[in-house]
Amino acid sequence: MMHRSTLSRPWLAILFFLSLAQFAFAQTRTISGRVVDEQTGSPMAGVTVRVKEVAGVGTTTNAQGMYQLSVPAEAKTLIFSFVGYQNQEIPITSNQINVSLKPGEALQEVVVVGYGTQKAQDVSAAISSISNKDFNKGVITNPMQQIQGKVAGLVITQPGGDPNQNVIIRLRGQTSITGGQTPLIVVDGVPLDDPSQIANIPPGDIQSYDVLKDASATAIYGSRGANGVIIINTKKGRAGQTQVTYNGYVGLDWQAKYYDLLNADEWRAATKKLGNYQPSLDKGANTNWQKAITQTAFTHSHNLLISGGTDKFTYSAAGNYINQQGIVINSGKNEIGLRFNAQQKALDDKLTLNYGLLTTRTNRKYVDYSIFTYVFSTPPTYPVYNPDGSYFGYFDFEQQNPVAQQMLQLNRGTENLNIYSAGADYELLQGLKLGLLGSLSYFNKQTDFFQPTLPGVGNINNGAKYNENRNSKKGNIHIEYTHTWNNVHNFDFTGVYEYNDFTYDNFRAAGQQYLVEDNQDNALQNGNTAFNQISSYKEEYKLISFLGRITYNYKGKYYLDASFRRDGSSKFGVNNRWGNFPAVSAAWRISEEGFMRNLAWINDLKLKVGYGVTGNQDAITPYATQLLVGSIGRYYNPVNPAYAYPQSYAPTQNANPDLKWEERHGFNVGANFSLFKDRLGGDVNVFNDKTKNLLYYYTVPVPPFYVNTILANVGSLTNKGVEISLNGTIVKGNKFNWTANGQITFIKTRVTSLSGSYAGYKLSTNNIPGGYAEGRGLSSNPITYLKVGYSPYVFYLPHWEGVDANGNQLFDSAGVKIPNYGNATFRYIDPAPKFNYGLGSTLSYGNWNLNFFFRGVYGQKIFNNTLLDVEFIKRLPGNNVTKEALTNGIEDAAVASDHWLENASYLRLDYVSLSYSFKQVKGIGSLDVYLTANNVFVITPYRGLDPEIRNGDTNQAYIDANYGSDGYYPRTRSIVFGVNVSFK
Amino acid sequence: MKSLSTYIKVSTLALGLFAFQACTDLSQHVYSVTPIQNFYQTPDQIAAGLAPAYQALTAIAGNPSNVFNLQEVSSDEIIVPTRGADWYDNAQWQQLWLHTWPTGHNVVNGAWGDIYNGIGKINFILSVVNSLPNKPATIGEINAELKVLRAYFYYLAMDLFGNVPLVTDFNTNPNTVTNSARKDIFNFIESEIKNNIDSLPTNVDASTYGRVTKWMAFALLAKIYLNAQVYTGTPRWADCIAACDSVINSGKYSLLPNYFDNFAVNNSTLVGSGNENIFVVPFDKTNIGGDNMEMATLHYQSDKTFGLSGSPWNGFSSTADYYAQFDTSSTYTTQGGEVLRTYKDQRTGQFLIGQQYAIPYNYPPSTYVDSADPSLALKDAQTGLPLKFSPYVLQLSNPADSFRLAGLRNIKYFPEAGTAGSQSNDVVLFRYADILLMKAECEVRLNTNLIDALNLINQIRERAYGNNSHDWTMVDLNLPNILAERARELAWEGYRRQDLIRFEVASGTPYFSGARTPGKAADPSDHHLYIYPIPAQQITANPNLKQNPGY
Repeated sequence: MMHRSTLSRPWLAILFFLSLAQFAFAQTRTISGRVVDEQTGSPMAGVTVRVKEVAGVGTTTNAQGMYQLSVPAEAKTLIFSFVGYQNQEIPITSNQINVSLKPGEALQEVVVVGYGTQKAQDVSAAISSISNKDFNKGVITNPMQQIQGKVAGLVITQPGGDPNQNVIIRLRGQTSITGGQTPLIVVDGVPLDDPSQIANIPPGDIQSYDVLKDASATAIYGSRGANGVIIINTKKGRAGQTQVTYNGYVGLDWQAKYYDLLNADEWRAATKKLGNYQPSLDKGANTNWQKAITQTAFTHSHNLLISGGTDKFTYSAAGNYINQQGIVINSGKNEIGLRFNAQQKALDDKLTLNYGLLTTRTNRKYVDYSIFTYVFSTPPTYPVYNPDGSYFGYFDFEQQNPVAQQMLQLNRGTENLNIYSAGADYELLQGLKLGLLGSLSYFNKQTDFFQPTLPGVGNINNGAKYNENRNSKKGNIHIEYTHTWNNVHNFDFTGVYEYNDFTYDNFRAAGQQYLVEDNQDNALQNGNTAFNQISSYKEEYKLISFLGRITYNYKGKYYLDASFRRDGSSKFGVNNRWGNFPAVSAAWRISEEGFMRNLAWINDLKLKVGYGVTGNQDAITPYATQLLVGSIGRYYNPVNPAYAYPQSYAPTQNANPDLKWEERHGFNVGANFSLFKDRLGGDVNVFNDKTKNLLYYYTVPVPPFYVNTILANVGSLTNKGVEISLNGTIVKGNKFNWTANGQITFIKTRVTSLSGSYAGYKLSTNNIPGGYAEGRGLSSNPITYLKVGYSPYVFYLPHWEGVDANGNQLFDSAGVKIPNYGNATFRYIDPAPKFNYGLGSTLSYGNWNLNFFFRGVYGQKIFNNTLLDVEFIKRLPGNNVTKEALTNGIEDAAVASDHWLENASYLRLDYVSLSYSFKQVKGIGSLDVYLTANNVFVITPYRGLDPEIRNGDTNQAYIDANYGSDGYYPRTRSIVFGVNVSFK
Repeated sequence: MKSLSTYIKVSTLALGLFAFQACTDLSQHVYSVTPIQNFYQTPDQIAAGLAPAYQALTAIAGNPSNVFNLQEVSSDEIIVPTRGADWYDNAQWQQLWLHTWPTGHNVVNGAWGDIYNGIGKINFILSVVNSLPNKPATIGEINAELKVLRAYFYYLAMDLFGNVPLVTDFNTNPNTVTNSARKDIFNFIESEIKNNIDSLPTNVDASTYGRVTKWMAFALLAKIYLNAQVYTGTPRWADCIAACDSVINSGKYSLLPNYFDNFAVNNSTLVGSGNENIFVVPFDKTNIGGDNMEMATLHYQSDKTFGLSGSPWNGFSSTADYYAQFDTSSTYTTQGGEVLRTYKDQRTGQFLIGQQYAIPYNYPPSTYVDSADPSLALKDAQTGLPLKFSPYVLQLSNPADSFRLAGLRNIKYFPEAGTAGSQSNDVVLFRYADILLMKAECEVRLNTNLIDALNLINQIRERAYGNNSHDWTMVDLNLPNILAERARELAWEGYRRQDLIRFEVASGTPYFSGARTPGKAADPSDHHLYIYPIPAQQITANPNLKQNPGY
């Protein structure tokens, strides 16, 4: 009640508006008519009819679709609106107005901007939206593949063909070194606790993606927005007839390319020529080990969606099932998902209640990546099986039967993702809404591992069970006020208070030496107790935020948006608990100006500029700022033989109470345009982002520091780039239509500083080893570095100058060819692509539709570590080699040089899809059938299996190795047959 | 009007929420670790909080450790040749052998990190324990123990890097850390030991196993005096003798009849008086991993000889020139179909030479040299060559198939069947035999008590041969012979580089810096290679550090 005096003023203002409205009702006339569904022609009940010019004048249609409305004299336009349909504005030219409403593809028009929506035409930030009709087609392992290559600035990499490997998502380049770089992913307003959970969202449920690229758009997400934000909207119901839709496909995948290894006869001929043929290695077989571990894989996917409702209540319910075999034997996944969401309107439509439920269960069969090493090391003369059908067993350094290992090991995972959300919005006054949104997210993962004693290996059998939970509670209170003054000043304010609590825990038990292998990891207590291991862990952090956004435009011509977020995170140091993230953007629809109106070929042209500050707190673990004591290993205490190996405890990190988020300052200039009667549209953005306070584990001297690194905010890096996307209608006819769209992205990332000071102490680091060459004789051999002035993970290698007569490799040493690599001249080579691009096209003729999409990268380099290891004749006879090894002349040790750093530019025909639509099928609404081929071809000079490898999620970026635990799961080529059916 | 009243109510609620302290409460639970102020509360916690000082030793003693590699691979004792592609490893092993290590050498920087990790941990523990509100009753002993252990780490730093930063206070301002001269480090170590030695435990039993005792401190003192001429320019032979005498006269130690028992899998049972080991670092295959010497040295197929559960890595070896110092005369016995070779000097049995068999290997080492069953003779699985270890390592890198078998392998720390790495053998840092050899060497250098020196050496030799028929006479008692005796007795124990430099500095003979097969040229005459460079990585991290001369 103490707020009464402050509230008196709006109260007066509202009275004033009400009295104006009262005045407006002075003179009236009556309009009537009928509203029908444009597609079905059936009458629509509950359609809102209101006067555009005068607030508060409106009605709804009755069960026959009829309405009658008294309007004041100044009323010039009627607006017809209904949930799930496009609004129609009709000038009042007579007293009888009949209308047919089109089912709305509302998501094309509305862009979700984070804590709200904006009309697409009113957006002043760099945001791209892709709806499901433009999604990539074919076997979709991860939802993000649906928009791979489609969005300028968004680079999605699927590193190989493993159905269980996550995609790498980078928006506008590498934004951080230590921190996570994956954009924040928000599903129906609820951010995922870990972006990798995107793999657990059924792709078939997704209606559209909105990609928030520049800092003026992402700043609303504050300390989590630095890597960009991807907003995913699932399919919603709309009022009207209940719709039942089924989408399904079956597909076949097979390995797209193989290395050219010796077959058994070639191995025999080569070793005999070299004089080291060993009868003991020749088991008489001819095994292609690359093929022995792979299969033609079968995938089937089913998605059933039921949606409908009335104007008061709409719902959508979906069931999904996908079963995907991997092309590597005994690998794959299946996923079952259920989703339900609903919206209820009540209290004169002033109250809107939203419910959402998403639950998926994913079962995974993993690949043991060490088998890829064995594929290359095993001679082709070894058989997979003994004559009696048992596995042929053998064992040597990095060599054993990969088929036996992959088939006999239990290596599975089960993931459950449950997201519940509920919200309420209440319209207090026209234009003023107050709401609450709460959500709970539970992610659980369990893995089962058991390695039996493998034939010929003689290893001790061992098993492990692992369980982890990543849960969160999130809630917000939000308020939105929208108002238009004098029909020209459009104003919107959004304010949010948000509370997030995240917990993570895990538990693992493992043991060895089991008598009964059939029990696998289900009786871990039965092994040798000396080997029993248990471990558990738990952590928690909180994030509390206040944020506000104002958007304003004048006549849809001049736009000004500003937002501000204040984040408090328990991860941050006590000296930096709270941080501020402002953003501002402006746009000018220049095509609305008088001097442009005469240019008939310009339909729309909007210039935009934005600036914002975002943060990245991913690198900071919840307790990184504190000095904590933890276990660091056991010690021997013979005094107490009953407990001879207790744990020792020590601080595990240098505390940094000054620790805070990385800051990304982003500047964006761009233009949207639509030309030639909307036949050519496009979006061009130029950006300049700078990451400051770069988090990195700086090397510090011990002592006085406790451990030799400290996580500190010291360095900086920049991302500069240009994004261009275009879409055009080339032919527009009655039967034949041809459209094309494309995008190209240029990004340049540079580490600009890795030094500064922490608490008065100068921290400096430079030329930090990043990735290492892998293989025999390649221990401790860094080849990529973090180096100021270069892109992250720049290669630093000697230049290869060929081979001398003795088989010694020669390297450049200041202009002289020398055999000794140690004194060679090293040089930096940037592996980062110069640009990425995508180009798609759709041709339709009558009911036929042909769709294809090319995707490519230019200027990328990849270190072909596999060939460095395998293209080496001295591996014979005990290991296999490529055919090239017989002639390349290299006989000395494997040396990492630029000889193995290959041009990995590529152009891939990602898919071709041909579909046919049966428009009117008796008993069914519509039926589409399609045939799609994925990864049809790749044009690349790269000699590895595929030029699309891990390029940014680990320190091993740009290094293509099949050694130890690193392997490349071969990329697949696939063919898919699918149907989409709509029932009525 | 209803909506207005709702507006007032909800707004009040919302504003109230915004104002509430609870809305901005960022307190978080700590679950799996503990804030430092909650630790060091009970005696057991204090014990577990002291243990990291010793835990840091596992990185020093877990072989092949970085410190071990710097002490051995730069000497004539161990070579890691490049076999095909194997063990090229960015040329780091070749560079150690050739003495061409760059300042950023991976092993050099690794050794620095391992040593200063221990010093840093001890500084921290000293700071915490001494600021506890309720100090443990044994605080005096704890401080002495920690300080002498820290002196051991500083001894390693001084020996390898010479002029190193001396930081003894956990709260030192990082900006003030710079190098101290090698002789200042020497003086610090000496005074630190002397100041604390009387507070150290003198009992030798389970409670001091693997820990600092008064006798360990004397052994450390003996080591720094033995090499004082190298460290400071001034020999301290007599002081070394006095320190050795303190150990000898304690009566706590004696030579074990079986040389190999000191290094055996179950050597942790050698607790109490009368044993040979003075200071060990405990390892355990399941609880304290990190000692992988068997993997580093044995051949890929040696798992068949020792019943290992994994395939070793075929790396660390000794050459013919070094092996020539060993007495290979043997006795042969026939057991069933197999012929067993036993060396007269049991220490020679620590090397594997010649054909290897898939017959469980004898402990103590005695080699099968023939078998009635030819299928038991192992072959290199990759090349089919008979698995015969040859002492001839004539190149540093050679892709020839036969080169896979070049070099002798060492099984001093006898492998345990069923393991593959993570050996349970405790690694010995100081043992009584070395005390005897040090004292004898100093007596010869001072040309005093030569009878005593001869007696000390002969104790070692009688244990090695099991009889006195190979005893030295006065004629044999000279420094080159003592260096060779140290090579036999202390092979692969991490002392060879130090010994070669000491003998070189004292005599001028280029034991360390001279040319050597394969491939090593004589070092530059400025002798800057007697110490390693301050690692480039450390100078980047702390620009106040000055590089050692010559680098």
